[in-house]
Amino acid sequence: MKAEDRWVVPAGLGVFGVVLLVAGYFYDSKLITQLALGIGTGAFIAAIAVGVVLTYRGSGVVNFSTGAVAMYVAYTYNGLRSEGRLYLPPLPNPLSIVEGIVNKFGDWFGSSSRLDLPNIPARITFGGNFTFISAVVIALIWAGLIGFLLHVLVFRPLRNAPPLAKVVASVGLFVYFQSIVLIRWGSSAVSVKEILPSDPIKFTKDIHIPQNQIYVSLIVIVLAAILWAVFHYTRFGLATRAAAENEKGAVVLGFSPEFLAGINWVVSTMIVSLLAILVAPSLQLDPFRIALLIVPALGAALLGNFTSFGLTVAAGFGTGMLQSLVSYLGTKKWFPSSTLPPAGVGAALPFVIVIIALFAKGKSLPTRGSIGGGRLPFAPSPRRIGLQLSLFSTFFVALFLWSSFAWRQAGINSLVVMAICLSLVVVTGFVGQISLAHMTLAGVAGFALSKFATEQHVPFPIGPILGAVVATLFGLLVAIPALRVRGVNLAIVTFAAAVALEELLFRSPRLTNKTQAVAVSAPSINGTAFGPRNSSLALFGFNSDGKIPSLWFGMFCLIVVVLLALLVMNTRRSNTGRRFLAVRSNERAAAAAGISVSSTKLLAFGLSAFIAGLGGSLSAYRFGSVNAGFFGALASLTYLTFAYLGGISSVGGAIAAGFIGTQGLVFTALNRWFHIPDKYSVMIGGIGVVFTAIRNPEGIAGAFRQAGHLISSKLIKQPASTPTPAISGGLR
Amino acid sequence: MSLLQTIDMAVTFGGLKAVNQVSIDVEPGTLVGLIGPNGAGKTTFIDGITGFVPTTGRVVFDGRDISGLPAHERALAGLGRSWQSLELFDDLTVKENLMVAAERQTAKSFLMDLIHPTRSRDMTAVDSALGLLGIDDLRDRMPNEISQGQRKLVSVARALAGRPKLVAMDEPAAGLDSTESLALGDRLRDIVDDGTAIFLVDHDMGLILSVCDYIYVIEFGQMIARGTPNEIRNNDRVIEAYLGNQGRQDKDIQSVPIEHPEEVHDYQLDSSPIGEFEPRIEGDQ
Repeated sequence: MKAEDRWVVPAGLGVFGVVLLVAGYFYDSKLITQLALGIGTGAFIAAIAVGVVLTYRGSGVVNFSTGAVAMYVAYTYNGLRSEGRLYLPPLPNPLSIVEGIVNKFGDWFGSSSRLDLPNIPARITFGGNFTFISAVVIALIWAGLIGFLLHVLVFRPLRNAPPLAKVVASVGLFVYFQSIVLIRWGSSAVSVKEILPSDPIKFTKDIHIPQNQIYVSLIVIVLAAILWAVFHYTRFGLATRAAAENEKGAVVLGFSPEFLAGINWVVSTMIVSLLAILVAPSLQLDPFRIALLIVPALGAALLGNFTSFGLTVAAGFGTGMLQSLVSYLGTKKWFPSSTLPPAGVGAALPFVIVIIALFAKGKSLPTRGSIGGGRLPFAPSPRRIGLQLSLFSTFFVALFLWSSFAWRQAGINSLVVMAICLSLVVVTGFVGQISLAHMTLAGVAGFALSKFATEQHVPFPIGPILGAVVATLFGLLVAIPALRVRGVNLAIVTFAAAVALEELLFRSPRLTNKTQAVAVSAPSINGTAFGPRNSSLALFGFNSDGKIPSLWFGMFCLIVVVLLALLVMNTRRSNTGRRFLAVRSNERAAAAAGISVSSTKLLAFGLSAFIAGLGGSLSAYRFGSVNAGFFGALASLTYLTFAYLGGISSVGGAIAAGFIGTQGLVFTALNRWFHIPDKYSVMIGGIGVVFTAIRNPEGIAGAFRQAGHLISSKLIKQPASTPTPAISGGLR
Repeated sequence: MSLLQTIDMAVTFGGLKAVNQVSIDVEPGTLVGLIGPNGAGKTTFIDGITGFVPTTGRVVFDGRDISGLPAHERALAGLGRSWQSLELFDDLTVKENLMVAAERQTAKSFLMDLIHPTRSRDMTAVDSALGLLGIDDLRDRMPNEISQGQRKLVSVARALAGRPKLVAMDEPAAGLDSTESLALGDRLRDIVDDGTAIFLVDHDMGLILSVCDYIYVIEFGQMIARGTPNEIRNNDRVIEAYLGNQGRQDKDIQSVPIEHPEEVHDYQLDSSPIGEFEPRIEGDQ
């Protein structure tokens, strides 16, 4: 791309915005006022975006967790400032396992004494509250340390990994930091002491802007200007730019590329954290908002081509101001706010920006020399399918028949997670397309099911199938960007799409009847309902303890998951799967082999969305209702982390993901045997997936498979014939 | 009627004309070579005819103008290619690599795949391609388990498995020693005798002269000579472009593979008579 080309799209958007603004002013002079009031949010979006650009320029990583880390630091600051406490991140405590096992034995032998080993401290309490300055300094040192550790422990080991591993690691960090906040501070909003004065300054008759917003904006602009100057005029900046092109360039200038990347990580984390602290009093702190501002920030960074600080800052401010404008317009009578919630339109804005930015850059086939960078996890062709599926089914049938209702519930939860993760195996595992929107697609089917089955009384198998068809249509829509963008950019666009769908569709008053959750009636055939609450249902004379969830709903879930697993295994074993893997491995070579890369991707997204849709319907039946939070963008992130942790490229991986998924069997076991609270499951998933991305890209299923090969090769006394290509990869 | 024809085909990157108005013809059942030093635009030329870079001018294949078709449709029309960097599908076995190229996907075959994935498939194209290249014993191996030379054969076999009317091959001999190169040449002749035309791109003059029926020579994106191997062997301009005055004395360039064409090129710039053959880079830079 020529240097001047990258200005075309932003400049076009800018001109369009000014024209709109002038027209708007004549329509309603308050528009300008509202626009000006978005400057504070805009500044913060710009700050996150600058952090993203800085990390990217330093290390080539697009960090989805930028906002989440800053949010965590802002909470830490607030703990110091208003409670005088330094909260420590939850760390795994090996002693709690010892404690659990010993106490379990104690229970069996009727002992009443409990072993209580020391816990890792959760916080350090100091005498009194910290002053603003000392709290900020400690919080920023904390932030710098986090940035440094992220570089050293996570992204430096991943520097030659494929984009999927980097995206998954940073998504895992997002999930991890958000879950820390939830564990340490809970989900309700926390107010923060005022830092900057908030009384407004009057610029004109119409424009009054709170002082703190102006200060924050100035700080962001000054910081961006400093960064720009550093990158243009210092040897450090020159070396970072050189390292981005070619690591040897930095070495020639006397800098280690790792050192440069580390410095950029530390600085970017500190900058975003500082701004998060400064805006915390006006935003309030909650575990979602700041973390999710990464979506508009990524849009802004994309418009700045992940290089230009100036464009990025302008786009960040623009996004924040437009969102403020949209929420003002939403109060107008003519605004169709019952169909399009104004907050949803604002949240969908980054999606539009991302789409525009990406379509201007995208190519339907990668250009020569643009592929490369590590190998994706091996996707083995499944063997002994009958044996595996019957073992799997036997386990669940036994679980449902003979375990208590709590385990039955955990088993059903695991099955639902498996269904959704199977859809990710198709699209991400087989075709290599990173989708951060799959739980949202499942939600589309869930909401559609509530419309079809509960309101229109469409009978059982047709309702969920129609729901899955609707999800497929949405999946094809999500796939359209995938035809032109790939890798991390696709992750960005699907994430933005997930947020837009959640806010526009799932929170639309028209669709959800202005309630949080929409009811879904139990599935039934010929008047015999077999939902989770139909616990008195006895088929073939079998009914376990008559508690909720019912035995036969569990069996129904099992049948669906076995069929879906078979579907995905068949896909892998057939020509369709070979074409999927060919596209994943090399789009150019696939096209030369006569494969239409576009239709293959569409097929994969469609098939995968269909599977996700059926999973969404299972989940809707499971809870008897659907709600926006359960199927939101954040849930999509969590499910991708579990799918990757289990093993993204095989059916076995999806099954492993189901076992370890939220409220699934493994965490129920940890909870009941070792008293590890449920809320830790997401945190462990988040940190687990980061580790998986670095050390074991094939996930739990891959580790089992390799252990199996090792054992069988030891037994037969000959080397395992199946290759175990991990990250090392072949010749390129 | 020729099978593949380019009419004033050009490829432009920014201001640089990487391929400048090159017209070639490939008759059915022949082996046609394209030779030129590194950076002459050979790979770009193949990318152009197979649809991987946008071109101007026309590309006619099998009586049909394919200039506007996307890459996969050109492949389906019978214009296969292999890659200099091989680009095998690392996740598939050798046999599966070929099967991907051999099979055509339809809505029906997709639905059948979901229900009965292991049904028997038509393997004749795969088997004959493996047999023609003599690599039948590799069929169940993974690409990263076999040698570089074997990978090259697999790459060619995959191009053949799609039953193309013509295969464009991008430097299949690169990295092979002279015996392997000669053996490859024999395989290529077998393929042509089997009825598939080959458009062979290489900078190994020895290979090109020994196997091709007709040869085009390009440099800096422009065609500088065309003819039968004998004509090319005796073409003064080619000899100068490749070997300078040394070659003119020996008149035997068959035995001299151009391992480092850029060095040869420097030599030629120093010693060629000015005005007779000037390197030119087109376009406004």
